[in-house]
Amino acid sequence: MEKPPEEEAASTREDIGGEGGQLQAAGAAEASEEDHTTLLLRLREQTKQQLLEYKSMVDANEEETPEEILQEEQIEAKIEGLENEIQDAKTAFEVKTLMLHRLKLSALLENNLENIDTKMSLFIDNMKHILKLNKSITASQQESWDLEEKLLAVRKKRLQLKQASASKLLEMQTERNKQKNILESMENSGMLKDVRQSLQKEIQITTVVQHVFQHTIPRAAWRLLLFCIFIHILTSFWGVKSTGQRFLP
Amino acid sequence: MSVLRPLDQLPGLNTATVLLVSTEDALLQQLADSMLREDCPSQLMIHLARSLPLPSNVTRPRIDLVVFVVNLHNKYSLQNVQESLCHVDANFFLGKVCFLATGASQENQCSIHHNTILKLAHAYRSPLLFCDLTTKDFQFSVAQRLVRMLQVCAGHIPGVSSLNLLSLMKTSEIPSLEDL
Repeated sequence: MEKPPEEEAASTREDIGGEGGQLQAAGAAEASEEDHTTLLLRLREQTKQQLLEYKSMVDANEEETPEEILQEEQIEAKIEGLENEIQDAKTAFEVKTLMLHRLKLSALLENNLENIDTKMSLFIDNMKHILKLNKSITASQQESWDLEEKLLAVRKKRLQLKQASASKLLEMQTERNKQKNILESMENSGMLKDVRQSLQKEIQITTVVQHVFQHTIPRAAWRLLLFCIFIHILTSFWGVKSTGQRFLP
Repeated sequence: MSVLRPLDQLPGLNTATVLLVSTEDALLQQLADSMLREDCPSQLMIHLARSLPLPSNVTRPRIDLVVFVVNLHNKYSLQNVQESLCHVDANFFLGKVCFLATGASQENQCSIHHNTILKLAHAYRSPLLFCDLTTKDFQFSVAQRLVRMLQVCAGHIPGVSSLNLLSLMKTSEIPSLEDL
């Protein structure tokens, strides 16, 4: 509401300013040529000064003051901090949602378990059956272990018996060897030789006696004599045999 | 409706433009007249506005100096100035803004304390001139000062820039302001 009249006021004053400027311009026009040169010089100085001001302004705008740089760094650091905070908040939110899901799921599971008792009984029956089976398995395993132990005991006994029999056989062999040795020693001894020599002597004696009697005694008597000799030989033989038996162990 | 920026246009040859902002129309008119009567080698352009921002559909020359006139007898003028200050670019406060507190001689009628306007000027780092525009002598002297300042701000005085005007802020009378 107020601005249009202000602008009017400004324009009127512009007119006033223009008038003043015109007045002074007229004053300047009345001056001499020297004044003109001074005016030109003054204007040169003015433009120089204004140019300097603009230059300084441009430089000031171009150059970033260390404060501004610091501020920018601070702003960047703040932005980084805020981004980190946003990330933290996001992760915290996700974790919390996951926790909520978990809680919901656990609650639902509890409700379901409470509601479905029949299915639960089936489950329990199955579990009981499985337990029974497990127990029977363990019992049978125990039995098998016992049997194995018995088998081992039997094998042990057999081994011991084997060892005993082996030792007995060894003893028997030694006994036999001893007997053999004794027999051999018996054969090698001079008693049998003596018996044989005596036998040879007896045979020779009989042959000599036979020859003698064949020539001297007739046939009938011969036969009787032969018979007697035969009996004599037999009896002598028997006597030898009985003595032999006496020497036997 | 745009923010007022310094050095946004090329300067006119030998012209210096000042913008006077205040709700006190009559006083501003008198001040502008007395400024135009001042002996000045360059051409003066004086814009008056009741408040900022200025309408953007009008072409105006480069504004070299903004003068906020506060009537110490009127609280509304201070409020208006405070609202208008929001529409001024920060670079303007490098010596191209001046506060003018009028009515300072009649202290018994003041509705704004001196300290508040001092604080305002200190907060915006701009020189503050106390005056009484109703008396003619004060008006002439203030007009003369403003014209000199305008010449400096427009770059018509070689070797002196508007930043040098910030030395006007250094006053030995009120050392406690820094502590405020």
